[in-house]
Amino acid sequence: MAMSELSLKSVRKTFGALEVIKGVDLEIEKGEFTVFVGPSGCGKSTLLRMIAGLEDISSGDLEISGQRMNETDPSKRGIAMVFQSYALYPHLTVRQNMGFALRFAGVPKAEIEKQVMDAARILELEKLLDRKPKALSGGQRQRVAIGRAIVRHPKVFLFDEPLSNLDAELRVHMRVEIAKLHKKLGSTIVYVTHDQVEAMTLADKIVVLRDGRIEQVGSPLQLYSDPDNRFVAGFIGSPKMNFLPATAVTQNGQSLIRLDDSGILLPAGHLATQLADGTRLVAGLRPEIFKDGGDSSLLLDVEMVEHLGSETLVHARSGETLLIVKFGGIRPMKDGETIRAEFDAASVLFFGADEQRIR
Amino acid sequence: MDRFTRALAAFFTYAFLGIMAFLSVFPFIWMVMGATNTSIDIVKGKVGIGSALMDNIRAFATTVDVPLVFWNSIKIALIATALTLIVASLAGYGFEVFRSKYRERVYSAILLTLMVPFAALMIPLFIMMGKLGLIDTHWAVILPTIGSAFVIFYFRQSTKAFPSELRDAARVDGLKEWQIFLLIYVPVMRSTYAAAFIIVFMASWNNYLWPLIVLQSNEMKTITLVVSSLASAYYPDFGAVMVSAILATLPTLIVFFVMQRQFVQGMIGSVK
Repeated sequence: MAMSELSLKSVRKTFGALEVIKGVDLEIEKGEFTVFVGPSGCGKSTLLRMIAGLEDISSGDLEISGQRMNETDPSKRGIAMVFQSYALYPHLTVRQNMGFALRFAGVPKAEIEKQVMDAARILELEKLLDRKPKALSGGQRQRVAIGRAIVRHPKVFLFDEPLSNLDAELRVHMRVEIAKLHKKLGSTIVYVTHDQVEAMTLADKIVVLRDGRIEQVGSPLQLYSDPDNRFVAGFIGSPKMNFLPATAVTQNGQSLIRLDDSGILLPAGHLATQLADGTRLVAGLRPEIFKDGGDSSLLLDVEMVEHLGSETLVHARSGETLLIVKFGGIRPMKDGETIRAEFDAASVLFFGADEQRIR
Repeated sequence: MDRFTRALAAFFTYAFLGIMAFLSVFPFIWMVMGATNTSIDIVKGKVGIGSALMDNIRAFATTVDVPLVFWNSIKIALIATALTLIVASLAGYGFEVFRSKYRERVYSAILLTLMVPFAALMIPLFIMMGKLGLIDTHWAVILPTIGSAFVIFYFRQSTKAFPSELRDAARVDGLKEWQIFLLIYVPVMRSTYAAAFIIVFMASWNNYLWPLIVLQSNEMKTITLVVSSLASAYYPDFGAVMVSAILATLPTLIVFFVMQRQFVQGMIGSVK
C-alpha cells in the first residue's frame, strides 16, 4: 500500500473536560486536495491547527510522510499555512513577507530572492513586491499569503477558510485560482471551509465533520449522490435536500414507502434492508430531481417563487412540510398556485430514525 | 432650524471654545511674557512684553548649573521611560497572549495597586531605597516608576487588537516566542509604544514629589526641583523662575509635537 502523505490516527483534542475532536482517523494521499467541511463549531479549524502544530494533540498520532509529528515544532513539520485574515506582517513588504520563513531557516539571500521571484511569477505578484500589505486589495493580500506558503515548498499546504474575507465575486475568482494552482504544483492540500460550494468545486476528497467526528469521507460526487447519513445529505448540495416524513408499508405483498404528508407510495423493493411495516423513515428528495416526465409526483402548494433566470426555485408545501423545488429555465408560476411536481422515485434516498442511510 | 438660529448656535459654540482655548493657553503666554519682565513687574501683574529677558536668563544661568540639571532630568526620564516600556509591554503582551489559571488573579492584583495613593507608599519606599543604599542617586527616582500598573494595563488593552493569527503565522515560519515579540509584536505595535513613550516621558519629566524626597544634593537635582526651589526662595526672582519654567516645559512640548501623530494613532489602536 502506498504511504499516505498525511495520516491521522485516533486523534483527539480536549480543552479541560471538553472534548472537541473525538477520535479522528484519516489518510490523505500525496497530491490530494482534501477539504474539511462542516458547520461552525464542528472542529474543522481545530483539526487543521493540530496538523499545523498550533494546537497540541491530546492523544492519537499525526504522521506526515510517515514520520510522527505530534511534538514537532510547526516550522519543522513540512507544512505551510494560509490564514483567513491572511496574517501578513504589516511592517514588512510583500517581498519580505514571502521570504520571511526562509530567512529564519537560514537559506542564503540569493536563494530566497529566487524562490520569492518564482512564487511571485506564479501568482502574478511581481509588480507588488515592494509594497506593504496595507497598500494591497483583499485578493492581492490573499495571493501574497499563498505566495508565502509556496516559497517554502511544503509537503502539505494548510488553508484555513482562506476566502471567507473576500467579496462574492473575488471569492469565485480566487477559488478558480487555487484550483489552477493545485493542478500546476500538484501539492497536497488540506483546506478548511464552511462553504460547501468551495468544497464541491475544489476537493478531490471531502471530509464532512460534525461535533468533532468525521461523518463521511469521499469524493464530492460520492457525498452528493451516495451520502451515508441525513447530516451529510443535508449539508452537501445547494439548495439543501428536502426531508419528508415517511412510513414503510406492505401492499399486495410488495414493500413500499408512503410519504406521510401526501400519501404517495414509492417502491422500496430496490433497498437491501428489509423494512418492517410501520417503520418510521425520512425520505430525502434533492430539489433538482424534480423534472417533467418523472414516474412519481407530488402536489405542492406554492408559497414563494424565486426566478433566477437559468433556473426557478419554488418554495412549496406538501402537507406540513416545506420543500424547495428547482426547475430548469424560466417557469411562469404564481404564489398560492397548486402544482404537480414530477420526479423519478429511484432518485429518492431514505434515512432511518437513527439518521443513517437505508440502502 | 433657520439661518439665524444656526448662526447663533455657531456663535455660542465658537465663543465657548474660544474661552476654553484662552483659559488653557493663557498660562503659557503669561509664562513667556513673564520671562521678558522684571520680577517687580511680574508681581505687579503686568501683562505685556518687557525688556528684561537677557537679565532673567543671566540670573537663571548664574544661580543654576543649567546643563547639569537638564542632563539629570533627561537621563532620568529616558532611562525610566525605556525601562517602563520594556517591562510594561512584556507584561501586557504576556497577560494577553499566554493562558494560565492564575492570569486574571495576578493581573487584578497589579491593577489593585492603582488604588494605593502614592502618599501611602512614600515612607516604605524611602526606607527601602535607604536599605538599598540608593538615597540621593538617580536610581532611587527611576526604579519605583518602572513597574507601572497603568502602562501594563494600557499595553494589555492594546494587545487585544494584535491579531492572534500573526503569532500563529510567525510560529509556522519558525520564530521562537521571544523572536515573535521582538520582530513582529514590537514593530507592529509601534504607535502604541509611541503613545506610551509620550505619557511615561512626560510623567517622568514632570515628576516632582518623589525626586524632592530622595534627591538631596544639588548635583543630583532635576529641572522640576530647580524651578520650585527658585520660586520658593526668600526673595524669589520671578523673571528667572519664568525662564526656568519655559525650559522645563520645552522638552515635553517638543516630544509631543514630534510624536503627535503616533500618539493619536496609538490611542486609537496600532493595528488596523
